[in-house]
Amino acid sequence: MTKVDMAVNIGGLRLRGPVMAASGTFGYGTEVPLLERRALGAMVSKGIFLRPRQGTAPPRIAETPSGMLNAIGLQGPGVEALIRDYAPQWAEWDFPVLVNINGESASEYGELTSRLDGVPGVAGFEINISCPNVEQGGLYFGNDPRAAAGVTEAVRKRTKLPVWVKLTPMVSDIGVIARAVESAGADALCAINTFVGMSIDLNSYKPRLSFRTGGLSGPAIRPLAVHLAHQAARAVHVPVIGIGGIASAEDALEFLVAGCAAVQVGTATFVNPRAIAEVHDGIAAFLESKGFSSLAELPRYLPRD
Amino acid sequence: MFVVSMHAPEIASHVRAGQFVNLGWAGGPLLRRPFSVYRVDGEVIEIVLKTVGTGTGAIVAMETGDHVSCLGPLGRGFDLAGGATSAVLISGGLGVAPMPLAARDARAAGIRVTWVHGARTAAELCSEPDGDEVIWATDDGSRGSHGTAVGAAPDAEIVLACGPNRMLAAVAERWPDAQVAVETYMGCGTGVCLGCAVPLRRGGYDRACKEGPVYRAADINWPALPSQLHYAATA
Repeated sequence: MTKVDMAVNIGGLRLRGPVMAASGTFGYGTEVPLLERRALGAMVSKGIFLRPRQGTAPPRIAETPSGMLNAIGLQGPGVEALIRDYAPQWAEWDFPVLVNINGESASEYGELTSRLDGVPGVAGFEINISCPNVEQGGLYFGNDPRAAAGVTEAVRKRTKLPVWVKLTPMVSDIGVIARAVESAGADALCAINTFVGMSIDLNSYKPRLSFRTGGLSGPAIRPLAVHLAHQAARAVHVPVIGIGGIASAEDALEFLVAGCAAVQVGTATFVNPRAIAEVHDGIAAFLESKGFSSLAELPRYLPRD
Repeated sequence: MFVVSMHAPEIASHVRAGQFVNLGWAGGPLLRRPFSVYRVDGEVIEIVLKTVGTGTGAIVAMETGDHVSCLGPLGRGFDLAGGATSAVLISGGLGVAPMPLAARDARAAGIRVTWVHGARTAAELCSEPDGDEVIWATDDGSRGSHGTAVGAAPDAEIVLACGPNRMLAAVAERWPDAQVAVETYMGCGTGVCLGCAVPLRRGGYDRACKEGPVYRAADINWPALPSQLHYAATA
C-alpha cells in the first residue's frame, strides 16, 4: 500500500517496520485475533520466568488520569509451557518474537537464556530488569548499574541471538544504566518500562491495587518517556527502542525523532486492538507526505553529549 | 438505570447470554468499559448502565446517531444446554444486565424461567424482569420479599446469577453448581493484559474476559475476589 521503506535494523535484527508490540500488552501473540498483525515489526512476549507464577491478587489495575496502573506480577506459565505451547506457533510467523525474560538472580536469567536459546520461534531476548511488580529481582537489577550489567552479561554469555535490555525510568540518571548494559553486551535498549505509582481508594483508605503500587503506563507518561528515551539514546551507540504512552503515529514519531530506532506500543493496544497497525500506517503516511522514501531519512534530534 | 441501544448487527447475531461488549467513547475513560449485552432486537444490541461518573455520564448524554466503539461479543456466557426444564435467574441491582438474553435462550430451550430480582429499594429495581414467574426482593422491604434476592429464590435445575460479588458468594454457598457472572476491573477485554484476574479455588487466577465472566460458583475463591468495585459496569 505504501512505497515508503519502513524497515529498520536493530542491532543486526532486521525488522520490516519500526512498530512492535510491547511485552505484557500482547500476551504470547495468540490471544488477539482482532489485531492486524501485518504491521508488526516484532512482538515481545509477556514476561516469563523459569517457573510458573500466579501473579498478584486483584485488584490488579486502576485507571488514572490519561493512564493506568497495573500490578499483574508477571503471571505466567513458566518457560517449559512457553516452549511447548507458544514457540512452535511463533516459528511459523512472518515477524520475529523476542522473549521478555525475568529472574530473581543473574544466574536465573542465564539459565532461562540457555533453555530458550536455539528454540525455534525464539528470535531474541528482552531482559526485563525493570518490572516494578515483583518482590524479588525486577526493578532491583534495573537501578544499579553493576547489577544491570551482571544480568546482561549472564544472558549475553549464553546466546548469540539479539539481546535487548528494558530499562526502568525509576533512576536518577538513565544514561549510567544505559552505558553499563551496553558495555555488558546489549544489542539494543528499550526505554522505558512503567513508572512506579500509587492510587488511593477513599472509601477503604487503602491503595486501589492489592500490591499497593503499580506500574504507570499510557499517555500520561509519554513526555517523560520521550525525554528518558532521548537521554538513553544520547548515552549509547546501540539502538534505543522507545516505549511509553504511544497511541498514534505522531506519538511514535516523537520518539523516532528524539533518537529512537524503533518503538513499542503497549497500553494503546488494550484500548484499540488495531493501534499498532494504525501507528505503522500513520508513520508511513507522514514520511510520504514529507517526501521521504524511507524511515532512515527521518531527521533525528540527537546531539551527542 | 439507563438502557443504551447500539446498531451492531454482527454482535447482535452472535452474542450469547452472559457475554459482554467492551465500549470506548468520546469523553469516556482511557480504558474501555465492559457491559453485558442486555437485550438484542434485530440488528440492535442494548446495554444497561447507571451514571456513576463523568465517563458513563457522557454515554447517557449522547444523541441518537452518535458513535461508540464497541468490541465484542467477548467472554464465555451461560450454558443452558443439557436438557433442564427449570431455571432460576437471580439478579441484584445492575446484575439484571445479562438476564433478558438468558431468559430468551432458556425459553427457546423449553426451560421454565423464574426470575428473582433484588435491589436495595423499590426505586432501584429494574422494571423489566420477565419470566414465567417474577419474584421481587428489596433490602428495605419496599417491594416484594424483605431481604435478598438469593434468600427469595426457589431451587431449580439451573441457577444463573449476576450481581455484586458478595451476592454471588452467597449464591455459591447455596448452589455450588450455579453459573455466576462476576464483575471485575478490566483492562483490554481480549485476554492479553491479565488485569481481570479471578481467583480460583484450585489456586491461581484466570481471566474474567476469556474464561469468564461466567463461572461455576464453587470454582471461585470468593474471599479473594474484590467486591466493592468503583464503577458499575458489569460484565
